This record gives sequence, C-alpha cells and structure tokens, in this order.
Amino acid sequence: MWLATGWLALSLPAHWRQVFVANEVAPGYLRPLGWLALGVSVLCCFKADHPSMAVLVWFTLLPVAAVATAMTLSYRPALLRVVCPVFLRAR
Amino acid sequence: MMVSASRGAIISRILAAIFGCYAFVWGVVALGVAALHGAGLEYHAAEQAMMMLAFLLYLGLFLWTFAAASVRRVWLVLAGGSAVMLAAAWQLQRMIIG
Amino acid sequence: MLNSFRQSMAWVHTWFGLVLGFVLMVAFFFGALSVFDREIDRWAIPETRFEPQPMPSYDNLLKQVFADLKPHPLDMAATAERVIGDLPAPETMPMVGLFAYTTHRDPVLRIGAEFAIPNKPIDSKDDHLHVHGWATIDPRTGAALPDDQLKIGSNWFYPMHYSLQVHWKNIGVFVVGLAALVMLVALVTGVIMHRKLFKEFFTFRPKKRTQRSTLDLHNMTGVVALPFHFFFAFTGLVIFASFYYFPVSGTLLKPLHDRHEVIEAEHTGLPHDEAGVPAELASVDAMVAEAKRIWAERDMAGEVGLLMIEHLGDANGYVSIYRAGSDRVALVGEGIHFKASTGEVLREEPPSDPVGAVNEFLTGLHLQHFEHWTLRWLYVAGGLLGCICIATGFVFFVEKRKQEHAKRGLQGCRLVDAMAVTTVTGMVLAAVAMLVANRLLPDAMPGRGDWEKWTFWAVWLLSLLHALWRSAPVAQARSNPAWREQCWALALACVAAVLLNWLTTGDHLLKTMLLEPYWAVAGVDLSLLACALVSVFTARRLARTVEVKQASRIDGVAYE
Repeated sequence: MWLATGWLALSLPAHWRQVFVANEVAPGYLRPLGWLALGVSVLCCFKADHPSMAVLVWFTLLPVAAVATAMTLSYRPALLRVVCPVFLRAR
Repeated sequence: MMVSASRGAIISRILAAIFGCYAFVWGVVALGVAALHGAGLEYHAAEQAMMMLAFLLYLGLFLWTFAAASVRRVWLVLAGGSAVMLAAAWQLQRMIIG
Repeated sequence: MLNSFRQSMAWVHTWFGLVLGFVLMVAFFFGALSVFDREIDRWAIPETRFEPQPMPSYDNLLKQVFADLKPHPLDMAATAERVIGDLPAPETMPMVGLFAYTTHRDPVLRIGAEFAIPNKPIDSKDDHLHVHGWATIDPRTGAALPDDQLKIGSNWFYPMHYSLQVHWKNIGVFVVGLAALVMLVALVTGVIMHRKLFKEFFTFRPKKRTQRSTLDLHNMTGVVALPFHFFFAFTGLVIFASFYYFPVSGTLLKPLHDRHEVIEAEHTGLPHDEAGVPAELASVDAMVAEAKRIWAERDMAGEVGLLMIEHLGDANGYVSIYRAGSDRVALVGEGIHFKASTGEVLREEPPSDPVGAVNEFLTGLHLQHFEHWTLRWLYVAGGLLGCICIATGFVFFVEKRKQEHAKRGLQGCRLVDAMAVTTVTGMVLAAVAMLVANRLLPDAMPGRGDWEKWTFWAVWLLSLLHALWRSAPVAQARSNPAWREQCWALALACVAAVLLNWLTTGDHLLKTMLLEPYWAVAGVDLSLLACALVSVFTARRLARTVEVKQASRIDGVAYE
C-alpha cells in the first residue's frame, strides 16, 4: 500500500511543476491544482502509515519527486505534457 | 574579495564563531538545565530540551559572529556571557542541592 | 564583516562549506550506506546470510550461551590499565549484568556481559568498573560466530559516518559535529545568498557552461532537499549532544545529575545497588511472554529488541525487556522491568513527557530502527542528494576560479579539485575496494578485518595521490583527467565485487533475486552494478566533452 502512495505522490505533484515549463501561457489553474495534489499526497501518506512515519515519508518523497521532475524538465520536457492532457490545456 | 576585513580580523572571527560560540552555548545549556530543573522540570527533560535549543542557538550565534559590525563586541558578549552563565549555573546548582 | 550582510554570509558559505565540505561528504555518503549497514554485513560475512530471527528463548538457549561467555581479552587489557593491582583470572570473575540485542533486520544476535572485579580504580572518579565480554551468535543454535570477522556495514561504514574512524580523544566525533553545524550554517547562508529560490526551484540547465549547470544542480539539490539536510544535520547533533558536545551532566552539573539519579531510582523502584544476597533467576521466557502481552494490550504488539539483566544473581536483580523499534519513528522501547528472582513486574515505563517525545522522535528519525523499506531507500536518496549538493559545490568553486587562477599562476584550484576527486570518486572507490578485498582475502587469514581496513585506507590514499599527480591541467583552466580515470576504476571495482561474490559464495543475482530471494545480498549487488553503470556513463560523458557536467557521477554511487 505504501508503494502505491509513493507513485501517487510522485505523479501528482508533477502537475504543479508543469507550471514552470516555458510554455507560452501556463493556465492559471495549474498552480492551485498542484498544491491540491500535494495535499492529496499528504493524505495518502497518512492513510498508509502511522502518522509519525507518514510525515517522514512525505518529506523525503518531496525532494525525490522534485528532482525527478527537474531532470525530466531538463532532458525530456515533452514527457511532462502527459500530466497536462490537451483537453485541460485551454484556459 | 576581502573588501573590509584584515586577515587578523577574519581569523579572530573564525575562532569566535567556533570556540567563542561553543563556550557561550555551553553556558546557556548549563544554566538552562539548572534553571529548568530548579523550576520543577524533570532533569532529563530539562537536559533534552536544552540540547535541542543549543544547536539552534549555536547556529544563530555563528551567523551573528560574521554579520556583526564589531569583532570586539562579539568577543565581549561571548566570553563575558559564557563566564557569567557558567558561574550562575554552578551557583544555582548549589542552591538546588542545598 | 564584509560590506554587506549578504556578502558576509556568502563568504561564510564559501569558505566554511569548502573546508568542512570534505568532512560532510564523508558523513553524507557513509550515512547513506549506513541505512543498509546490516545488509552490507550480510554481503561481507556470507556465513550469516539467513533470515532475520526473533530474540531466542533465554531459558533454553541464551542461559547456556551466557554461561559460556568470558571476559574479552581486549577489555581485560584495557581495564587492567585503569585499576590498581592485577586482575583475577577471567574464568573466576562473576557475571553481574548482561544484554542481548537484535533488530528486525538482524539474523545474528549481539550479546554482551559485565563481569565484576575486586580491584580499586586508579582514578577514584572512575565509577563504573567492570570487565566486559561480548560475542555475536547464531540465534538458531547459540553457536558463536567468528569474532574477528569485520562487520563492514555496521562496524566500519557506520562509525565512519559519525567519527571518521578517528578515535583519539574523540576528535572525529567533534569534527563531524562541527561539520554538521556548518551544514546548518551553509543551508541558512545558502538561502540568504540565493536570489531566485522559488523561481528556479526546478531549474537545471545541463547544456550550459559547467559553471552554470553545476550551480543549478547545487541549488536544486540543496533547496528541494533542504528539510531533509537540515533535519539530519540537526538530529545528528542532538543525538550526540549530551554525551559528547555538551556533557553538562558528567561535568559541571554532575552533582545535580547524580542526585537526580538516586531520587529517580527510589521513584522507579528499580534497585540502584546490589543487595549482596544471592538469588536464583526465575523463568525469563515467562517475563518475555508477559511483556508481549502488556504491549499487545497497549495496541503495539511487537518483538523483543533488547533484553537486559542488572545485578545478575543478586536478590536485587531485575530483568528489563524493551520492544524492538519497527512500526513508528520515535525510538521508544516501552521498557518493562521484572524482579529477576520472582518474575513479578517491578515497573512499566510510562509514556514520555512532551520534551522526551520530541527528542525520541528526532532521534528515531535519524537512527531509523523502523521497518519501512521505501522510507529507507528515500533516506539513501536524500543522502545522495546531499552528496551531489556538496560535490557540485566543490566543482563550482573550482570552475568559478580556475580561469583567474590560471592567469595569475595560482595553485589553489588545483588542490581543491584534487581533494574533490579524492572525496568523491576516491571515497567510493575505497569503499568498493574494501568489499573486493573482503571477497579476495582468504577466510582463515588472521587479522582479516584489519587487512580490509588497510585496503580501504590505502585505496583512498592512492586516489588522493593519483588526483594530485594528474591535477596539472586544472592550473591551466582545464579539467583533471583523474575524475574520468577514477570513474573507470570504480566501474571495474564494482563489477569485480559482484563477480567475486558470485565466485566465492555461489550467490549470483539470479539466485538471490529469483531462485532463493535474499534481498540483502541482491540489493548490495544491484547497487554495485548501478554504481558501475553511472560511473561508466559519467566517464564516457567526461571523455566526450571534457568540460561537461561532472556531478551526475555520484548520482547513483553505490547505494547501500
């Protein structure tokens, strides 16, 4: 179960990071959506583990997810389009 | 790079940051443990609380040592403060034990 | 100090970061390895490759094991120097206290005992005078495992993490402590220096100049993992604070502390001293069963991690049973104490006060006794991010200055770069070389562990000499070929270690992963291979455009 939360936290905050791709115009709702996803990932962690453990998992997952996203941005930015499908791109 | 600091002043600050702050924090820890315990806190709780505070204080002092305008004042505060607090801790301990 | 606050902070960041960064690098890297110290032990001592075992029965097994345990010659010699007169023969010393310790990751059981001696100490303040004996046993049979086998993970990499293996006057512990403080300082000053903290949160531009991309990587790894770095440096300091850094209770406030200890002993009802009347030991297994029942009642059923007996054989003797850390972060033992002669419960430790709880959480966070493999790997990742951050700091320092140094004929960059090579690739190379030596040296060789240690130091020293020898190009603003060469050496060593493990023990990856899964060994092997891959990649990358980024090298460096 905690593995599942791992994936979730990895994929969901990615929404938020999409904001920073040098698109022409980044839709404004992405930022709140990203924060929301981060919140959801916290809840997932809490659901999966003892609270004290959950805090740690979340805090250590965060840098890993962030670095993964940053590396994607540098080497394969196109991949990030997946997290923001076409039908959502309109403003 | 060293616009306004001589070599001696820099060495003095480095020593103050490492050893001066260390002595000062020592004083705070000793006095804090004695005072908290004297105020009724369980001894190990007092000790642990001060240990956690100690490094945050050390960090702050360390940065202040380099940010402060006058090295002399830094030394004065650190040396004077630690001496006073160590003495106070000792005195407080004698009062508690009675 | 300098013209502006920001400049002063930048100065502190640069110079303290540089000087203590070399120490920090060691602490971070070996800290990351220590997360899997027990698994590395299994790799290095093939006889102990079996499943983790619970605490064995005291009555049926441990009782006899302890009866056979004798004072250790090493501690005999050390104690002889502290006392007046000759020590009695080791067989005649009565055992007065003992412990047995295991974790959910340990197949083997560590045991130890205290033996009483009649001698007076030379220094009258020396108040805990006992001779100790210790052993590591197979908990299934009680057989002692060879004592001279070096536990590379938990007895070499792990102490390296906090003491640099420099034990004289605990200098190593203090240097690492200062480095940890400097880590905190560097994090704060780094944030002060960094102008676009959030705007460049995810920025990494590998195609720009080395100077720019290393700075990107330095900032990114530092900023995104800031809470991780801060908490680990901070909790590391707190763990050692009361014993090493601010030992108020043992020095200035000793009278206060001792008074409290006596009051506490009265309060807890656990006898501080012996009664002087001999007494039999009741069934310890029954006490263990009772302790487990009490834990289950508190909704935290668990296994025994630590079993201790104080005042063994005396009417005041008591048995303390602590729970193994597994399902929560805080390091709580939920200790339960029994009267040794009757088995009645003397005391159940109450839940800790708020300060204690915070302290237990912080300590537990760093020492990670919990059972959570994902979190363990995340710790490794965090540690390696720290390594990348420090290493890129070195590289940036050199890149920023080498043009100017080359013009003015200075050698500073050359030296820093060579030191960086030594603490990045050299350090990993030394660790892997140690594993290779572990598989190459004959089993029966006397002092085998010492040879492994010498291999470690020798390889590290060689890497320094190599880096210095090859460092001339840096003085001309080019890069040091030692980076590339040591990457190749590292890749070879990693592959060699995996192959040697197969050849000498028959445990190849197919077997440890699929046929008879044993992830402790498979994990080490896989990490070595990953490390080899990253090294090869980096070496090739460095060869192609000698100037392109260097830092991803440590990216995967030898997890575990």
